[in-house]
Amino acid sequence: MADIVFLAMMAVTVGGAIVALESREIVYGAVGLAGSLFGVAAFFFLLDAPYVAVFQITVYVGAVAVLIIFTVMLVRHETWMKEVTYSLGRLVGILTAAAIAVSLTFAWAASSSQLPSVPVPSTVTFLQIGQLISTSLSPALEVLALVLSASVLAAITLAKVEREED
Amino acid sequence: MTKQITTFEDFIRQILKIIFWVLLFLPLIGVPVYYLLDTVFHFGVDVFSLLTVHPEQMINLINIEPFHSLFIWTTFPGFTFAALFVTFFAMLWERKLLAKIQLRVGPQYAGRYEGFLQMVADLLKLLFKELVTPNAVDKPIFWSVPFASMAIAGALLSLVPLGPTTYLADPPVGVIMIFAIIGFFPIVTLLAGWASNSKYPFLGGLRALHQLVSYEIPLVLSLLGVVVLSGTLDIMKVVTAQSGVWYILLQPLGAIVFFIAALAELERIPFDLPEADTELVSGWITEYTGMGFGAVFLGVYIKLYALSGLFATFFLGGWLGPSFLPPELWFIIKTFIVMTAMLLPRGVMPRVRIDILIRAGWGRLLVLSFANLFITMFLVSLGVLHIGGL
Repeated sequence: MADIVFLAMMAVTVGGAIVALESREIVYGAVGLAGSLFGVAAFFFLLDAPYVAVFQITVYVGAVAVLIIFTVMLVRHETWMKEVTYSLGRLVGILTAAAIAVSLTFAWAASSSQLPSVPVPSTVTFLQIGQLISTSLSPALEVLALVLSASVLAAITLAKVEREED
Repeated sequence: MTKQITTFEDFIRQILKIIFWVLLFLPLIGVPVYYLLDTVFHFGVDVFSLLTVHPEQMINLINIEPFHSLFIWTTFPGFTFAALFVTFFAMLWERKLLAKIQLRVGPQYAGRYEGFLQMVADLLKLLFKELVTPNAVDKPIFWSVPFASMAIAGALLSLVPLGPTTYLADPPVGVIMIFAIIGFFPIVTLLAGWASNSKYPFLGGLRALHQLVSYEIPLVLSLLGVVVLSGTLDIMKVVTAQSGVWYILLQPLGAIVFFIAALAELERIPFDLPEADTELVSGWITEYTGMGFGAVFLGVYIKLYALSGLFATFFLGGWLGPSFLPPELWFIIKTFIVMTAMLLPRGVMPRVRIDILIRAGWGRLLVLSFANLFITMFLVSLGVLHIGGL
């Protein structure tokens, strides 16, 4: 069951990423990006980390993907990426990626017969994460909060300046 | 034999008729004749045991585990129950209730008593209507929206526990998962509006985006008081923590904010700007016909059921109640009462303006939900409220 879900989610993630990069229609690219990020969240579920998975969906699919789709829809899509360009660099990139994939597959196939038995780590519940964040990692949390509020303030300032220019 | 076969339909009918007679006469005549001949000729093959199946050799469909979980997900607490509940019960209840509020009679002719079969008639009408795909639409996205609408509403449904043993999913981070699933609805409405390639759906989609994004934040923040009091993000444990006193008594502010934000998330009057019939034809679902429209609407109504159920779960004690009724029935009664309260404004309220809507969302409800959270934390730290009750 988990293998089927893993394979399906792998297809969603990789397919979404390919669509996001290769699609001529830019809205399809944004939807593919949302699908790819959702697939990553599914991997977190499979890795028994529901807390991370849920926040991956909330932040990346619920907020970032919505923003990207909304922005992309307001772009005039008639004159957007119509001409197809194939360059040498693209071919080299594809060949390099294929070579890396093939060599990794061979390495995996060679090592799969002698996998060492790894002890299963105990799952970390979100209560432990919360305790860590509120005790020993609280300086990091403060720094993150400061960065976020600084960026929000900067965004508001930029928007205000543009409005005054109008 | 007598009638000449002219059409393909007649041909099929003749073949089915022959199969019917063979199936009828083979056990009645063929098998007795075979056994009569068997006493004379001794064929040595027991035809009766060939035609019947020993019970132990039958495929055991009912007791194996995947079927059981499939039954739970698809049928009883899952999708079919919710779909039937909302289509054949809540929609009819909504129409009759609004009609009585506005001194009309409502549906009356389908069915013998008070038009109780009106929803069956409407479903048949939707099923038999033509599925029109307008020329200018973006077909893949346009036709994936009805499925996405139902699927996301079903995902929200899976978080609603009907009873101590009757539940679909019990994730340890259920409250945040509500936030995660609700985040998909703006994408669906926006894509529906864009893919329809028409002015009314696009305006409706943009309005839906503003409204859903603004109101999903107070919707989840209003639940944080409940989380502080119950000390868990697990929805099942939130219910069991309410065995002393329901959280609507300890969290009245949170309950009010959740209710209003849920109304706005459901795009119901007075917050029905994305669908506004009188301005935008039907908003982001204008271009859908037939069962495509039906599927989108089924998703919207399953979302209504799921959010009513979540209100009952978080603030009205879920399945808890006196033991003379089963817990599932208590849950359904509470959900029905909450749903009625959510349907009532449609009969009496006007539609709000979009600037009032956005200002109320960011300026009032968000502040109220934060105030609710801080009051709760203050009272907990003073020792007035404890985790798990008074």
